[in-house]
Amino acid sequence: MLDVGRHPNIELMAYSELDALEGEAGAFKATVRKKVRYVDEAKCTGCGACAEACPTPVPDRYNEGHAERKAIYSWFAQGIPSTHAIDTEYCRVMNGKKCGICQKKCEAGAIDFEQKEEILSLDVGAVIVATGYDVFDPSKMPEYRYTVLDNVVTAMEFERFLSASGPTEGHIYRPSDLKLKAERADLAKKAAKSMKMLKKIEDKHGQSSKDFFESFDMDTADDDQKKWAAKYEAYLEVAKPLARLEEKLAGTGTAKKLAFIQCVGSRDLRFYPFCSGYCCMHSIKEAIIAHEHDNETNSVIFGMDIRAVGKGFEEYKVRGENKSNIRYKRSRVAEIVKGDDERPVLIYEDTQDQVVKKEDFDLVILATACAPVKGTSKIAGILDIEMDQYGFFKTQAQQPLDTSKPGIFVCGCAHSPMDIPESVAQASSAAARAVQAVLQAPALKVS
Amino acid sequence: MTKDILVLGGGIAGIQSSLDLAEMGFKVYLVESLPSIGGKMAQLDKTFPTNDCAI
Repeated sequence: MLDVGRHPNIELMAYSELDALEGEAGAFKATVRKKVRYVDEAKCTGCGACAEACPTPVPDRYNEGHAERKAIYSWFAQGIPSTHAIDTEYCRVMNGKKCGICQKKCEAGAIDFEQKEEILSLDVGAVIVATGYDVFDPSKMPEYRYTVLDNVVTAMEFERFLSASGPTEGHIYRPSDLKLKAERADLAKKAAKSMKMLKKIEDKHGQSSKDFFESFDMDTADDDQKKWAAKYEAYLEVAKPLARLEEKLAGTGTAKKLAFIQCVGSRDLRFYPFCSGYCCMHSIKEAIIAHEHDNETNSVIFGMDIRAVGKGFEEYKVRGENKSNIRYKRSRVAEIVKGDDERPVLIYEDTQDQVVKKEDFDLVILATACAPVKGTSKIAGILDIEMDQYGFFKTQAQQPLDTSKPGIFVCGCAHSPMDIPESVAQASSAAARAVQAVLQAPALKVS
Repeated sequence: MTKDILVLGGGIAGIQSSLDLAEMGFKVYLVESLPSIGGKMAQLDKTFPTNDCAI
């Protein structure tokens, strides 16, 4: 990534979109719109002082909503370019409120609320489409109760949990416990504020609020005492649920028993009939990393079959079973229901024993399908290229990276679902095809 | 006629294409809709089958 940012032959246009493409192979004219960051790219050093001072928290999409960022942000910490951007949906200034703290904090003077979008016209000889994919939304499958049960997450969410720079610093806490912890922090803050007020009154009277309240009598009390009592009651209203939460949280630890469900959205005639290709290996990898982090972790991978097709993949799968406490279960999970203590319960047919079983887990990870990216049809329209029946870009078997328009090539998951090694290989091939297009080498005559 | 090349998308595929082309001496315009490049790969902790760091 860093190489891209500093290569003299690459002009990186992040936070930009293609608006139009005209012409033909060898002579395309592309119109690119640079979206408004409200931060001057030339001045911003990416120091992050603005984000630190920004008072507006925003759910962090990079962390799949499990962390917060600010209304002025960088997409992720090591992002290239590191130039920050203002999220106009949340920024106070953009919503007509008084703020501008980031502008005051920015020593480079990079923040510019008057910035306008820029339209650039580029002459190019070839185009490579590498627009990627979207993670399938499993809430479309009601039987898995994604979003209903806190402890059912997608593989991408789990990936963020595993990351040392993620929302849980690599510890696998259950989302339900994280919710309780957030609630506890909120209540503790309120309790501390309330306690501070009571402390002043206690110091004045030289008596603890508890003792005072025990002997408090509404009929004989003066105004001061009534106020004290009301404040103490307000404190109790916060302190009691806080104590209950503490008790509940005392017994919780990290998630140690994990279930991975394969083919969520893939190989499913209701959604995508194709195999997404990478998810079997992705689940194995996540189970191995989870076990590396905590060797008491046990994982069960539920799938119709484990497709470990690729260099070194089968060995990786076997290693997971032998060394990382992974069990592979041949089954298609029918339903996930709520169990005790927020534990998801899987109902499935064990196809080897031929019986329907029920088993509960700390956390369930859904290996979601590789879906065509939102806006594929818009891009197809701009480029004037065809899509296939699923919404990926159409190619021919004989020329697997050529789109329906000469001079435009496709690679990676915009082509079809694939893993990183295959994406990299395809990307190099697409680059070679693009070079052929711009050089227009005369075809060799075979005599 | 121009030899410059436009790459749409700054995920692993777009990055690899851009670097290959740039190394071959071609001018590349890499367009990414998010504020930083990296795509889905940048969200991954490690990658299979070597457990290398993704970023």
